[in-house]
Amino acid sequence: MRSDPAEYDLVAPANLQAAVSLLASGPDRWLPIAGGTDLMVQYAAGTLRARKLVSISRLPELRRIEVLAEEIQIGAGCTYSDIRKHDSVQREFPMLASAAGWTGGIANQNRGTLGGNIVNASPAADSLPALLAYDAELILVSVRGERRVPYSTFHTSYKKITLAGDELIRSVCVPRRFGGYISDARKVGTRNAQAVSKVCMAALARVENGVIHDARVALGSVAPVPIRLTETERVLEGKPFDASLVQLASRMAAAEVAPIDDIRSTARYRSAVVANLIAEFLEKLGGKHQVRGATLERWNGLPAVEAENEILPCCGSRSWARSMAARRPFRDEASVLAASDEAWRVLAEADWMEAFASHPRIGESRAPESATARSAAWSSQEQRDTAGADEDVKAALREGNREYERRFGQIFIVCAAGKSGAEILQILRHRLQNDDRTEVREAAEQQRQISQIRLGKWLRG
Amino acid sequence: MTKTARAKSEIALTVNGKPKTVRAYPMERLLDVLRLQLGLTGTKEGCGEGECGACSVIMDGALIDSCLVPVLQAQGSNVVTIEGLGQDVRACTVQETFLEFGGAQCGICTPGMILAAVHLLREKPEPTMDDIRQGLAGNLCRCTGYVQIFEAVAAAARRGAAR
Repeated sequence: MRSDPAEYDLVAPANLQAAVSLLASGPDRWLPIAGGTDLMVQYAAGTLRARKLVSISRLPELRRIEVLAEEIQIGAGCTYSDIRKHDSVQREFPMLASAAGWTGGIANQNRGTLGGNIVNASPAADSLPALLAYDAELILVSVRGERRVPYSTFHTSYKKITLAGDELIRSVCVPRRFGGYISDARKVGTRNAQAVSKVCMAALARVENGVIHDARVALGSVAPVPIRLTETERVLEGKPFDASLVQLASRMAAAEVAPIDDIRSTARYRSAVVANLIAEFLEKLGGKHQVRGATLERWNGLPAVEAENEILPCCGSRSWARSMAARRPFRDEASVLAASDEAWRVLAEADWMEAFASHPRIGESRAPESATARSAAWSSQEQRDTAGADEDVKAALREGNREYERRFGQIFIVCAAGKSGAEILQILRHRLQNDDRTEVREAAEQQRQISQIRLGKWLRG
Repeated sequence: MTKTARAKSEIALTVNGKPKTVRAYPMERLLDVLRLQLGLTGTKEGCGEGECGACSVIMDGALIDSCLVPVLQAQGSNVVTIEGLGQDVRACTVQETFLEFGGAQCGICTPGMILAAVHLLREKPEPTMDDIRQGLAGNLCRCTGYVQIFEAVAAAARRGAAR
């Protein structure tokens, strides 16, 4: 049953000092409310027991992100949107930025706070494994002063935390020492937005000369509190990446977790997912290592013309390939991808047209003669889902392609990877309504996406 | 437990560009204040727990679910509801493209969808289809599908809705 607002007190102190004074004024405790994404749900359901609430959503002291020399201090009142949009967080703590971006939907991200996620103490909370993996510490504040505690000791058992009734979390501190690490954050749920995770993971490690160091693997939704897999981490230390290690570590990880059956999933499924996530994390460690060692390094050292020829199938425009070769050497895949976008954007329309012309028509396997063998092979992979379309859809696509070419004088370009024939047909029909200028921009955006996917495939061999 | 009724407070906020003062209990939901006190019934209640996005409004530039906001937290803020888009009876670009592409069926999700789309286009004037899917992921439609809705947002972007 819905709650009656007349039965609740809610006050909004102007600053942190006033808020903690109120919390200390006991014995009848006040309950802090920030974005309300958990408490207002309880309120709506009539299960919110506290009757006296203190709003902390607008305390300026809690809403800052401070980048210090040794650590980044994230105010507990920062919203997920504040976190996912913050440059330094994105760069140095990508797993935290990812988790913030798949918590709830945009409206929840604009209101829900990191401090609230910690205090709500759900074992399925998406941001908590990242905090564990990054060795976060919490600064707690009350009228008695401040204290600093490791996040790893904060959740003691299911929904239990070591926060006194008069305390607030002021900041979440993450040490800036994971720059050279390879990380892998994953959410497995019905969907990313809104759905609560069945399993979520934040894992990172350093790889030096093919050997794994300081692996840190944290999981949510597999125990009463978010946990680190310390046994599995120990097994990984100092080992080179190989298939037998993947087998051993994923078996160990599945045994190390203690999941339950609940409305969202089963213990058995969760254990199986954990084993797979660990295997994929290790493959990422192995793969990244090879990328640095092999394709990119070799390409960085090639004479210009050879370098251009090798990268050409990723896009199809000669000018783009020349520009990419001229921008070498590249440090890593991310910088190649960023440079590609930049090079693509500034090309002339004729260069764009050259790239478009290097693709086969969608729904047709025959590549134009100008296409390289590699480009043709990629095209057929990308169009795999389209190829499975039924005959009606294929016929409609053929017809649509012809109409498009009559209308715009170029072939219809769409980033087909993962799209069904019917989806592509729908896109094609809408794009036929574009004016020329809009359509060229749209096609260029599609080609940009295709290039990004192909660059990734090329670099990862 | 004895029930003690608290006092109502005066809460001032700006709604669709106009200053308003309401008398409300501080824990009343912004959603109820908008609908019942200010008569802005374009903002809908779906789930009442922040899952469906039907009650989306834009508060101080941020898309939010008005069912999860105690009205005291909206004090002094600037709220835009579906009634605040467009001018007089003229629809805004996103409203127009929703009409044109058939991005609505029963209509309960539509105001929230449109506000989520307007918010997305302010942040990303030239969104990819992925951006659109992500931007509207917190808004559920249980009648139809999402394709027409996504296409309507893409078309609004092409027409420069963000400008």
